[in-house]
Amino acid sequence: MNVTQDLDIITLILHASIVVKVVMLLLLLVSFMSWMFIFQKWFSIRRADRQTDDFEKEFWSGKDMSSLYQGAVNNRHSIGSMERIFEAGFREFSKLRSQKGTHQTEASDMVDGARRAMRATFQREMDFLERHLSFLASTGSVSPYVGLFGTVWGIMHAFRSLANVQQATLAQVAPGIAEALVATAIGLFAAIPAVVAYNRYSHDIDRLANRFESFMEEFSNILHRQAVR
Amino acid sequence: MAAEALAFPQRPEPALLRSFILAALMHGVLVGILLVGVRFQSRPPLTVEVELWEQPPPPAPPQPEVKPEPPPPPPKAVEPEKPVVKPDIAVQKKPEPKPKPKPKAEPPKRDRDFEKRMREQLAMEQQAVQQQDAERRERELKALIAKREAAARASALATWTDRIRAKIRGNIILPRDVPGNPEAVFDVALLPTGEVLSVKQTRSSGNPAYDDAVYRAILKSTPLPKPDNPALFERRLELRFHPHD
Repeated sequence: MNVTQDLDIITLILHASIVVKVVMLLLLLVSFMSWMFIFQKWFSIRRADRQTDDFEKEFWSGKDMSSLYQGAVNNRHSIGSMERIFEAGFREFSKLRSQKGTHQTEASDMVDGARRAMRATFQREMDFLERHLSFLASTGSVSPYVGLFGTVWGIMHAFRSLANVQQATLAQVAPGIAEALVATAIGLFAAIPAVVAYNRYSHDIDRLANRFESFMEEFSNILHRQAVR
Repeated sequence: MAAEALAFPQRPEPALLRSFILAALMHGVLVGILLVGVRFQSRPPLTVEVELWEQPPPPAPPQPEVKPEPPPPPPKAVEPEKPVVKPDIAVQKKPEPKPKPKPKAEPPKRDRDFEKRMREQLAMEQQAVQQQDAERRERELKALIAKREAAARASALATWTDRIRAKIRGNIILPRDVPGNPEAVFDVALLPTGEVLSVKQTRSSGNPAYDDAVYRAILKSTPLPKPDNPALFERRLELRFHPHD
């Protein structure tokens, strides 16, 4: 018996059963989306990093805070997360300070209010930065199983063809198994980059969050000093 | 979604188009690698089929080579004759052709007769040789076909006996410690249904335990497999067994 089966990937995919085809299509879609999010997150995290660097430099260069605030308010669509946090905190602080005349407001109350505002903005910014990361996580954990399902289904299909023959040869099941294994391969293709990217990005975002939190602490200290003065 | 839209009034994810294009590119590269990589493996190894025939085929392969050759000899065989005949004509003819153009009437006539006769003779001879040659070729072809048929029959017979042997071998309960690989030959008489009529041992393996085991196995596998082609059936079969096949 000579083997005329061509192991071309296209013929393998075309010969697969409908369930396996659907699984492969699904995995291809998921893979595409996950790669899209990988690139998106890559750009957005890099930009957030750069903006945070720029703002920290600007902030600690001893510039006047109200001019910083004005700058942040003027182009609030293009500013980074840390600047937003600063803006929210400073706005709340100035509001509370302007009320100082009418109600007796303690310095610690003003700082607490500013801190609450900053925390709220921080949460929102974190939510923005972590958007789509959960998709990467679930792609990484689920798509191998989906691929495995396609493979198992394909192998079941391949073995069914053995039922009708008396002499079972490898040549009868091998093409079916090869077809089925393509599903696992695609699943892994989708999962591996997603897992790597998820780990990398969640680490990056953690670091950014740490920077934001320490900035919040330091900024509260500065505000407290101003309030007492 | 609505809450998110409120929280981030105008914050689209940056670089959407760029990411889309990059992802598409990535998949293009991936598919390309997959296509190239898998096609590299897909070149099937050249399979060479060897059919092992049991008996006469060995002479058969040389035969076809001999067969094409005989045709060349006949022309050669004819030619040697021709030169012998021709010179005669040539010698007798040559003096004449020259005079031919000058004295036209007399000598050519006789000569033409002679020439004609010679030509007829030559044609007849040639025809005879060709006939002989054709007959020989036909005979060879027939012999070849017969041989091929015999070989096919022998191989079919061999597969049948192999099947019988395989069935019997499955029933042999090997005694322990059969030294070497001695051969036991049995003469089995069959009914056309495959049932065993009688079993006779024609040659012992030298190990009575093994002989007995084979004997019992033959009786045990009594409806023996029938040949694929009923015409192949033979009432008596000589079966050879080795303990360590």
